[in-house]
Amino acid sequence: MARIVVITSGKGGVGKTTTSAAIATGLAMQGRKTAVVDFDVGLRNLDLIMGCERRVVYDFVNVINGDANLRQALIKDKRTDNLFILPASQTRDKEALTTEGVERVLGELAKEFEFVICDSPAGIERGALMASYFADEAIVVTNPEVSSVRDSDRMLGILASKTKKAEQGGGAIPATLLLTRYSPARVDKGEMLSIEDVQDILSIDLLGVIPESQAVLNASNSGIPVVLDEDSDAGQAYLDAVARFLGEERPYRFTTLEKKGFFGRLFGG
Amino acid sequence: MSPDAVNARREALRAIEFKGRMMLVSILRLHTAEAAELDVALGARMAEAPELMRDMPVVVDLEALGPVAFPDLLVAIEHVRRHGFKLIGIHQGEVASDPLAEASGLPLLVLSGKAAAEAPPPRAKPAEAAPPEPPQAAVSVPAVHTPTRVVTQPVRSGQQIYARGGDLIVTGAVSAGAEVLADGHIHVYGTLRGRALAGVRGLVSAHIYCRRLDAELVSIGGHYRIAEDILDRERGENRLVTLSGETIDITEI
Repeated sequence: MARIVVITSGKGGVGKTTTSAAIATGLAMQGRKTAVVDFDVGLRNLDLIMGCERRVVYDFVNVINGDANLRQALIKDKRTDNLFILPASQTRDKEALTTEGVERVLGELAKEFEFVICDSPAGIERGALMASYFADEAIVVTNPEVSSVRDSDRMLGILASKTKKAEQGGGAIPATLLLTRYSPARVDKGEMLSIEDVQDILSIDLLGVIPESQAVLNASNSGIPVVLDEDSDAGQAYLDAVARFLGEERPYRFTTLEKKGFFGRLFGG
Repeated sequence: MSPDAVNARREALRAIEFKGRMMLVSILRLHTAEAAELDVALGARMAEAPELMRDMPVVVDLEALGPVAFPDLLVAIEHVRRHGFKLIGIHQGEVASDPLAEASGLPLLVLSGKAAAEAPPPRAKPAEAAPPEPPQAAVSVPAVHTPTRVVTQPVRSGQQIYARGGDLIVTGAVSAGAEVLADGHIHVYGTLRGRALAGVRGLVSAHIYCRRLDAELVSIGGHYRIAEDILDRERGENRLVTLSGETIDITEI
């Protein structure tokens, strides 16, 4: 049975779509058959990050409405085997995501794939609720700043009560924390919350820490998931997170300030 | 009457006792008797804080309604009841209507003092209860012992937890943007960053204990202090919040 994983945050712009693309690609690179689904109906972005925007014919809402079947709508990734993308509809709104429709589509995906990654839209409205409703587990993406942490906290509360599992009395779905845009230098200067600060507030397990990195921006702009840039710090950090997600133990990297050598200090790095 | 007879009578009356006590009662003032409008407003209020509002004893204040036909008043009262409030009386101002009291089965209360125009619970303003003449058995008398409510999950931003009729223990943290309420004491064994309201139905001797206080608001028996009024030195580890007179005190345990 597939694991349905929602990538969520509450707040916008913290890196949900980047993370969805990176985790899905990372899992596929490990040979796990993975589908990544864009729930951001009306503000479609995942296709851009995955670099498949020119191959979209049918979308999630078409499948829900029965205008197309799943096989027609799924886009096979060109770079990574075992990876498929189900794009969102750009011309509709979130109301098109009916509970029955989403359940049916996720059910079909679960039969074929090992992992179904649901890229949640921001907010706590219908789109976000539908993305998490049928999930088995959640990855909460958070930036190390107070508004993002508070929104993640709110989202964790929602995950504890507004999923199918919770409504059936099964309690909260497991959730892990992915801290993105982390800058040890700014933490050092007191401009950013530290990993400990964030964990103290959210009190959930840490899945990974992704450093603030130019590589993420480059990846987004070129439509290549950042994990494929294996030399980059962010790419490696995402691969670590994927490994932990699959049960491996990995030390945390890029979380402390690297001491500058003599020349570094001399020339200001 | 012979002294014996007086004694015998005193003995017989010992089974009951009348007491005059001040009590905190929420006044629900109706601005319309239109059933549909009432339903929307009552439903919305109830949805805001269902745990707090359900079974909340209220006096329905009909004074602001103006002239409304008798049957319509009855319908309006029924709608309030249907939304889950426990009615303990009607207030109608000067034009007291005995038939309404009889038909609704609720005592007519005379309110002295001014009820605030907008006093949404949980921070309802106290209104003086009527003299203890009419039988008011329905008024919430604290139960002998209500089990303490224990919450072992962190209370997240946007969540509200209310321990009705008793104490509340939260073993984790209460996040900023979360709200915990209790009729009795509140204990938080994590950091209290959100709002904590103890003694929400008027228990001024209620306390708030927390392992670390960094709250947005603390309140006891309807008196409160917001974050801005909580000094830096009052924030910190192992804090106790109490009410003395009308002042909220925060001390280290």
